[in-house]
Formats: sequence, C-alpha cells, structure tokens
Amino acid sequence: MRIPRALRVPRSAVAPLIVAAFAFCANAYGASGSAPDWEIDLDARWVTSNSEASAYDGGPGTLRFSEDQKGLQLGRIRLALNQNLGDLWSAHLDASVWDDHEKNPIDLTEAYLQWRPYPFDGLRARVKAGAFYAPISLENRTSGWETPYTLTPSAINTWVGEELRTIGIETQIDWLGTRTGHLFDVGLTAAVYGWNDPAGTELAYWGFSFNDRQTTLFGRVGQPGQQPQPASTLFREIDGRAGAYAGVEVRYLDRVVLRALHYDNRSDPHESQLAPKSFSWLTRFDSAGIRAESSSGWTGIAQWLKGNTYITPVTTRLGWPFEAKFLLVSRRAGPHTFSIRYDRFDVWREPGQGDDGTQHGHAWTAAYIFEPTARWRFTLEWIDVTSTAESREDYYGYDALAHEHQLQAQFRYALGPAAAP
Amino acid sequence: MRPSARPNKRSALLRGAVGFLLACTMIARSVVGVTAVPVASVSITVVGPDKKPIPGAVITVHVLGSEGRPVVPVKATVDQINRAFEPDLLVIPVGSTVEFPNSDSVSHQIYSFSPAKRFQLPLYRGTAYPPVRFDQAGVVTLGCNIHDEMLAYLVVTDAQYFGRTNASGTWTTEIPRGKYRISVWHPRMNDDASELDRELTVGDDDVHWTLRLAKSLRPAPLGPHPHSWDAY
Repeated sequence: MRIPRALRVPRSAVAPLIVAAFAFCANAYGASGSAPDWEIDLDARWVTSNSEASAYDGGPGTLRFSEDQKGLQLGRIRLALNQNLGDLWSAHLDASVWDDHEKNPIDLTEAYLQWRPYPFDGLRARVKAGAFYAPISLENRTSGWETPYTLTPSAINTWVGEELRTIGIETQIDWLGTRTGHLFDVGLTAAVYGWNDPAGTELAYWGFSFNDRQTTLFGRVGQPGQQPQPASTLFREIDGRAGAYAGVEVRYLDRVVLRALHYDNRSDPHESQLAPKSFSWLTRFDSAGIRAESSSGWTGIAQWLKGNTYITPVTTRLGWPFEAKFLLVSRRAGPHTFSIRYDRFDVWREPGQGDDGTQHGHAWTAAYIFEPTARWRFTLEWIDVTSTAESREDYYGYDALAHEHQLQAQFRYALGPAAAP
Repeated sequence: MRPSARPNKRSALLRGAVGFLLACTMIARSVVGVTAVPVASVSITVVGPDKKPIPGAVITVHVLGSEGRPVVPVKATVDQINRAFEPDLLVIPVGSTVEFPNSDSVSHQIYSFSPAKRFQLPLYRGTAYPPVRFDQAGVVTLGCNIHDEMLAYLVVTDAQYFGRTNASGTWTTEIPRGKYRISVWHPRMNDDASELDRELTVGDDDVHWTLRLAKSLRPAPLGPHPHSWDAY
C-alpha cells in the first residue's frame, strides 16, 4: 500500500491547524447540540536530578530532567477536547506544551476522528482515523495518555510515547461478553498507517529512556547540530509504504486485561532522505502485557516488548534487536496510591556488527500519588536507572556506565468538565 | 392465688386490645371497599454456597393458575452521576417508563441490545430526552457507548409481587393464599436462573424459605475511578 506524498503537512501550518481544529470542534457544538467535553491540565514539577540531558534535549541522559534543570520546571500544559459530531462520530484533540526546547510551543500529541456505532447483539465496531496511540500500554490508561500509577512511564511505554504514533486508520471489533452474561470480553484490532518510518531511530542511537514527555505530531527529538542524530522529526513518511499492526485484547470482567500486538512499520530500510539525512527504519516488534486489579485496591502490571529495527545504508543490513519488560505493583487506598516498578531493557547489535548503539540497563521507580479531588493531583516520584550505553561513550565521551536518578514533586490542577464529571 | 391473677388480667386486656384492632381493621376495610382476603407473610432469604446472605437479589413472584392482580406500571428514573448509572439496578413492572437524565457535565450515549428492549439514547449535557417505555418482561442491560465502565440493569417484570433482598439477604411480603412461582436473579449470579425457580403454595401459615445458590457470585465491579480511566 502506497501513501500519497501530497498528504504531508508543512510545519508552518501547525499552530493554525491546531487553532482551526479546536474551533471546528467548538462550532460543531451548534450543529450537534452536544457541548464539547474539554479539559485543561496545568502540571508543574519541582525536580532534582543527576542525569545528563535527555534525547529530546540532545543528550544521552535516560531521564527527562537533567542536572542542569533542578528546581521548578513545567511538567505539561494540556488542552484536550472531545466533541460529538452527531451520535456516531466524535472528534478528539490533545494538544500540549512541554517546555521551551520543543520546536513548536504548542503541538498535538493526538488528533483523530472516531466512528463509534452503538453495539449490536453484543458486537461493537470502532474506527479511528487520524493520529493516536496503538493499544500497547497497560499503564497509560488515563486521558492525555498519562499513567495513574507513576509520573514516568516504563521504558517500553516511554518509547511508545516517543517514537510511535498511529497516523492512519485503526479498526477494532469487540465481542462484549460481559454485557451478555459471560465473564469475558474479546477485542481484535488492526491498523494501517504511515508517517512512522523513522521509528527505531531513538532506540538505535540512544536506547531506552524514562520520560513522560510525548513526542508531538509536528515536533522533534534532539536538538539542532547535536550528535549522534541532530534534531529530527519522527513522524514522517520516507518510503511511501504503509505500516500495519494487529492485536488482541481479552478482558476478564473489569479485573484482568491481556493485550498482545504485532507491529511492523514495513519500512524499506534501503530508503533514506538526504536533507536531513534520515533513514527509513524497518521496525518490527511483538508486545504483550497483563494488568490485574483487585477490589482491595491492588494492581499488578507486567509488559514485555521484543523486536528489531533495521537500516541498510549501503548494502549491508544493520540491525538493532531490542527487548524491554517491566513489572509494576500498585496499591490504591482512597486518595492515596503507592506504586513500585522494576524495568529491564536491552538493545543489542546483530552478530558481527560491533556494539554501536547497544544498551543494557535496569531501573527502579517508586511513586506516591495523592488525589484529594478529581482536579488536584500531587505526586512524589523517585526513579533510579543503571545502564551501560555505548553511544554515551562514542558520541559524548562519558563513561558508558551511568547511575542516574531523579526526584520529582508534581502539582497538577485540571479544569473543565472532562476532568471531573 | 394472687400471683396467677395478674397474668389472667393481662391476657384479658391483651385479648381486648387485639379484638379492638381486628374490629378497626375490618371496619377500615369495609369503608375503603377492600375485600378481606386472607394473606400470609412470605419471607425469602437468598444465601450463597457458603450460606452467607446475598443482598440485592431480585425476587419475583408470579401467580400460577389464575390471572392474579394486574401489574401497575410506574414512572422511574435512572440518572447518570459521576460516570455511573444511579441506581445500577431497578425492578419495574411491564409497561413502566424510565427517564434518563444526565447529571454529569460530560455527555453519555446509553444503549441496550438486550432482547427485552433495544434502544439508544444520546444524553448530551443540558438536553432533556423523553422517557423510555419498557413493554416486554426481561433483563435489560444498560451501557454507555462512551464510557465502557458504566453498567446497570433494569429488571422488567410481569410478576404480581417483586422486590430485592435486604442486607440480611431477606425479602418479605404478604400474599394471598394460592400457588406461585418464585424466581431469583442477581446481576452477578453464576447459577442458571431458571434452575432456581420454585413453586410455592401459600396457605394459612407464614412461609420462611431459604434459597441457596449453587455457585458463588462473580466479583463486584471495581469502585469508580477518580477521573476518566481507560481512555486507551
């Protein structure tokens, strides 16, 4: 399947596009009689860290905030809008301001239309078209693709937020067994998408990291002139070939969720764009996960992801196999949530291809969240990462081995009807 | 002999009081035109396999062999509060109407694909919608097409008597002599409801029955989350 190159959006059109999209949704109120469900989140952090700058800021650090960013920092300003367009269609926009190193001061993380017919005889179809997240994460379940357990997602889901976005069409068919007296629901998902050829760049150059900042649709990773990869836009189409994924989800009542997904961006690894030099990365992986919850407030999540990313700069195909997994245990008691998570992550090279870009590490994360109301959220999070990354030595002259830690205190306030019904 | 005289005096007083009350009841019944039908108290207790009481079970009592009194439709309300149906279970006679207001500031789209009533109703903020009429007996499962965690049940019944068990797992009513079919239903029941049907003959004596489920209930839904979860 080929993707028309004419569909590319010029970067200068980002801000007007966001404004126009929000205005369209607001206007749709008059047409549909349905007021938009909107939300604005204001998230400030107090930070202390010993990390180098993150990949977003052009450094080899595995954490969001560096040693130079101690003190008060912007966590996120988020504007979200859900607008019903008649009974079956709805529009969803999620725009964020992350910080002053971003290319666009405000940019979209998701923007899509959803067709959501009413269930019929226990079967339900859902179709999304636009830019949105693939159903991989079992942590990032709250609006804005945030996690209710910690501030910082796992290595797997940081990478999903950093490099993956479905820009295309996704179809989901659910059998709603629990609505017909059974114990299970089963869902099948399939998608075709484009603009994801650079996915894999970050893994191969920097490896896995821990960062709640999500790459915006028209934003960039890295900073201009920085090595090993100068500022690059990740959501681009290079070879004109559409990618695909297919997944399954099984739910036992509202207690247990199992997800599995096979992802293949079907890029042609021979393709590259010269200015700036950017390869088409063939990235394939399998992911699986389980989330179980008890009525006493306990939650357990385990996720696993394993794959490979390839480029063929000349004639030899270079490959970076990768694997990551984590286990999270969380306990919620009234407005208090305590969580602890252990991550392991590895990036290797194909046999005989040296160790450029390899990374091996593990991390511990502990978080306490206090939510006195639906609008206020206070979080204290400690994260400790031990990793060996060849790129840290090759491109920055630091030791390959690093012990990084970061303490964050979050103060978050949410406005709007969607934040508190 | 003196001590025994007191109880006799008391029992005479008691008999007099009971007689007076009975006379009042008969006068009242004749005044309002109600036929004095002998009734018996029927008390049904539902317990699980562990013999612990099951609160909230729906008991329906159908008259067998005769028409019985006609069911009287009611007007009921199921609200949407904090992304949940309120109440989450309602028993209504056939022919009743239910209003679905939306007290939330977010939109809902409620639906049922249950055979007893298929319907769809978008509940947008600030808009009133006409009530929905339920003409067929059966369990109607309600969901929201926007918020999957929302779940509620309407039990539409053509039974002459119905109710739900209290915290002690018991439901009590007064019904006339006759033959009845007693049915039990619970939204989290694993037993086949038809296997729990029992025939009951009501005579002069009060009835105290205990119905024991063969299988444990499914786990209760998890409590409501503070904000919009499972958006992904």
